Amino acid sequence: MMIASLVALLVMPIVLTGVINRVKALWSGRKGPPILQLAYDLLRLVRKTPVYSTTTGPVFRIAPYVMLATSIGSAMIVPLLGGRPIVSFPFDFVWFAYIWALGRVASMLAALDTGSSFEGMGAAREATFSTLLEPALFLVTGTLCLVSSTHVLYEALNPALTTGASFVIWVSAIVALVIVIQVETARMPVDDPTTHLELTMVHEVMILDHSGPELAALQLSGAIKLFVGASLIAALVNPFSGSIGVIVQIALALGLGVAIATIESLMARLRLRTVPHYIVIALAAGTIALLATAWRSGGAA
Amino acid sequence: MSATLLLSIPILLVGAGLCVGLASNRASAAVAIVSQGVATVLVLASIVPLLAGGSAVELTWSWPQPIESVTFRIDALSAFFLSWSLPMTLIGTIYAIGYLRPSLAAGRRGGPHYALLNMVSLSFVLIYSVHNALVFLLGWEIAAVSAWLLVIWDYRNQKIRFAGFNYLVSTHVGLFVLVAAFMLLHSNTDSMDFVAFGQFLSHKSSARSTIFLLLCVAFGLKSAFFPFHTWLPRAHSAAPAHVSALMSGVIHKAGLFGFIRFTLLMGQPEEWMGWSVLAFGAMSAFFGVLYTSTQRDLKRLLGYSSTENVGIAAMGFGIGYLGWSWNVPALAIAGFAGGLLHILNHAFFKCLLFYAAGAIYRAVHTVDLERLGGLGKKLPATAAMFLIGGLAIAALPPFNGFVSELVIYSGLLSGSAPSSEENVVLVAAAAVLAFVGAVSAVSMVRAFGLTFLGTPRDPSIHVREDGHGGPDAPPPMLGAMGLHLLGVVALGVAPELGLGLTQATLDLIPVGTVANHPEILAPFAPIIWASRILAVVLLAIVVVQWRQRHEARRSVTWGCGYTAPSPRMQYTGSSFSEHLARIFSSFLPALRRERLPVEPFPQQPGHLSTHHADPVERRMYEVLGQAEGFISQASERIPEQPRFAFAAGLVAIVVIGALVVAAVSP
Repeated sequence: MMIASLVALLVMPIVLTGVINRVKALWSGRKGPPILQLAYDLLRLVRKTPVYSTTTGPVFRIAPYVMLATSIGSAMIVPLLGGRPIVSFPFDFVWFAYIWALGRVASMLAALDTGSSFEGMGAAREATFSTLLEPALFLVTGTLCLVSSTHVLYEALNPALTTGASFVIWVSAIVALVIVIQVETARMPVDDPTTHLELTMVHEVMILDHSGPELAALQLSGAIKLFVGASLIAALVNPFSGSIGVIVQIALALGLGVAIATIESLMARLRLRTVPHYIVIALAAGTIALLATAWRSGGAA
Repeated sequence: MSATLLLSIPILLVGAGLCVGLASNRASAAVAIVSQGVATVLVLASIVPLLAGGSAVELTWSWPQPIESVTFRIDALSAFFLSWSLPMTLIGTIYAIGYLRPSLAAGRRGGPHYALLNMVSLSFVLIYSVHNALVFLLGWEIAAVSAWLLVIWDYRNQKIRFAGFNYLVSTHVGLFVLVAAFMLLHSNTDSMDFVAFGQFLSHKSSARSTIFLLLCVAFGLKSAFFPFHTWLPRAHSAAPAHVSALMSGVIHKAGLFGFIRFTLLMGQPEEWMGWSVLAFGAMSAFFGVLYTSTQRDLKRLLGYSSTENVGIAAMGFGIGYLGWSWNVPALAIAGFAGGLLHILNHAFFKCLLFYAAGAIYRAVHTVDLERLGGLGKKLPATAAMFLIGGLAIAALPPFNGFVSELVIYSGLLSGSAPSSEENVVLVAAAAVLAFVGAVSAVSMVRAFGLTFLGTPRDPSIHVREDGHGGPDAPPPMLGAMGLHLLGVVALGVAPELGLGLTQATLDLIPVGTVANHPEILAPFAPIIWASRILAVVLLAIVVVQWRQRHEARRSVTWGCGYTAPSPRMQYTGSSFSEHLARIFSSFLPALRRERLPVEPFPQQPGHLSTHHADPVERRMYEVLGQAEGFISQASERIPEQPRFAFAAGLVAIVVIGALVVAAVSP
């Protein structure tokens, strides 16, 4: 299982990104790039010599690899294939949240290191959104832990759906988690990963100046983050275990990719000022889930 | 053994006297360092057995009446606080030698300043070891007055005198409240001894509740909790860097010490006390961190961050109180261990950050974020230290701030409260803590990014060569920073060290002794290993990238097609925090002064400035102003005859006195 998870960690981010791009191409009537296009891109970038801005210093060069390391680190504790993750330990979800925060801090610092006002803009937006995301993430994971009486992430992702209250908790947790993942992985309707139109972007504008192997590290880290997020949601939805569970888990993750691509093809991005309102939905859903736990036990007593 | 600890008092006093007396700055610095060093060794030697689990040491001195006897009692709690307070003051004194060098070279006498640093150390020995209310107040007052005199080092500047006076008044308001609490205790016990206080406090009564609240206010004011924090940002931005560092990281921890001391005296708390402490701490953390996000003065920013961090520690103590009152050992241990560990961690990273801010001030003579930028190339060592301190204060792994917040999270998310409604509130508090962590990360990215990254925003700022072979900080300052950096990293990758220091204190809490429940801290072992692996990976990345630093092509930053960018076009501090400040505009009122350009070809230059004043302070002055107006109006109505004024004053005093008596009578 552990080796299978590692293989999945190696292959699935690339496939998932490929699926999303393929589906988006189909929606717009094109044939689209091969599924493994990201792998070819990464190989091409790794062979190149990076170009650094004269303004930048060590922070700019270190940050991409920190982001890659944190993405891989977070993937270790998420059940990528359902069931058990590669490693799990008490309060690993706190670790998960903070290691993502470390990656985010690295990306913001790298953006500020360029001295470009566009990248500063992206960093400021990322910073603002993150302050609302973190509480939402803790509301969801904390609630799920209360429901399952556990402190381990993968156990919390399989709540027992016995009562009406636990169903409410489950649904609102999924809603909150989907929004959190959309913001974290820079996807529609929060951010548009396809354009580089600087004034409107969040994540893409922060990596404008990176090149060569560092850009490869950033792209791979983004793809891993996307797969990790999709796996989190899939694990929460997936009711099966065993080998069926693995198949359903992968199908759900890829299905999420198709859904993301469809949303991105059919929807416009939200106006930046309304993005915080969108994140507040996640906070509200998390709060509903939390309050429902009191109702659940109140009903039982 | 306890006599060796008390021997440090005369040594520090003699050192302080010599510092004042000696004419040479170099000699007085040497005397201060030697006397503090000897005192530190004496103190450490006598507290090591206590930290290892030895029993408390007690020593009673007879004294003339009305005091009769003064008891010194050094227990594990005293040992925990003493173990880092004195060494850190010594490090601060070493830093001061480097920091004050330009003023001393210009002819200022440094002796009194060093003497005051000695007095600060002395106040720690008194406050942390004495069990007598009068001597406790004496130590409290020595700390307050020394800190005030240290703050106004640059006393010729009117703003700095005002900040110092503001601090002096605020700290004495706190003292009055503390004296009131002690007087209530004295009137109920007829003693000034803490043991007698403890016997009275261990029984539930309305007087106990009043005393608890008074103590919370007094200690909260000392530690700069919201809304008693208004003096703090002013004092911290006015004081020399090492004084800000010592005040924020070490001296004001005496407030939290007092809180824990009286908790231990009181014994099992009531449930409402736990909820109030948790709410008070959460409020302090929430508002403190929001205020950090909009500051443009780096030292004010760090000052507000103290309010945030003591709030986090108090959240831990709140959980501990709840766990104790419910008899849930897991919760009690997690809460008190997290809170104590956070106090220690905060002392390490906050001093580091203030020292780095001092190095910036030494180099460019300003700490205004809107004017700085690109200092990372000029001050590489300071930049690296500030970055690590900033990551630690944002509670990011693998540094020490993460560990203490993790322990607090483990209490909040343990799900071990008796009812599910209570668990719901605790998880909501965890969400508040998550928000605090995220905003604190944003503030530190903003502070570090604007100061050290990019290019300088103000072309008039030049890095001053200091005559010691480069613009970066001189060796005493770098050494002091390095020692704190060592602590930040060591407590991050080997938290056993910090938890070991707190363990003997935790054993004093009957419900949650670690000895009885060794399994409670065991769950953290895997995360600690994960932190270590992360630390190794980060180090590897830094080393590899550092070795390849010359093998790259250079070009200009991509300007998105615009070819004439200027440093003024970089993102500024206020633009970075503008979006966040708008979301929380009800808590972060902004004063805007603007004249926007009109017409397509404006004739007049436009300007825009935003300023975030402290809302609590503004409101306080508004209320004071209104009250003053009200009193002056009312007094005009009183006929101009002294008899009436006297009678009115008498009536007011009687009413206030009656209210006080009614409030405290059981």
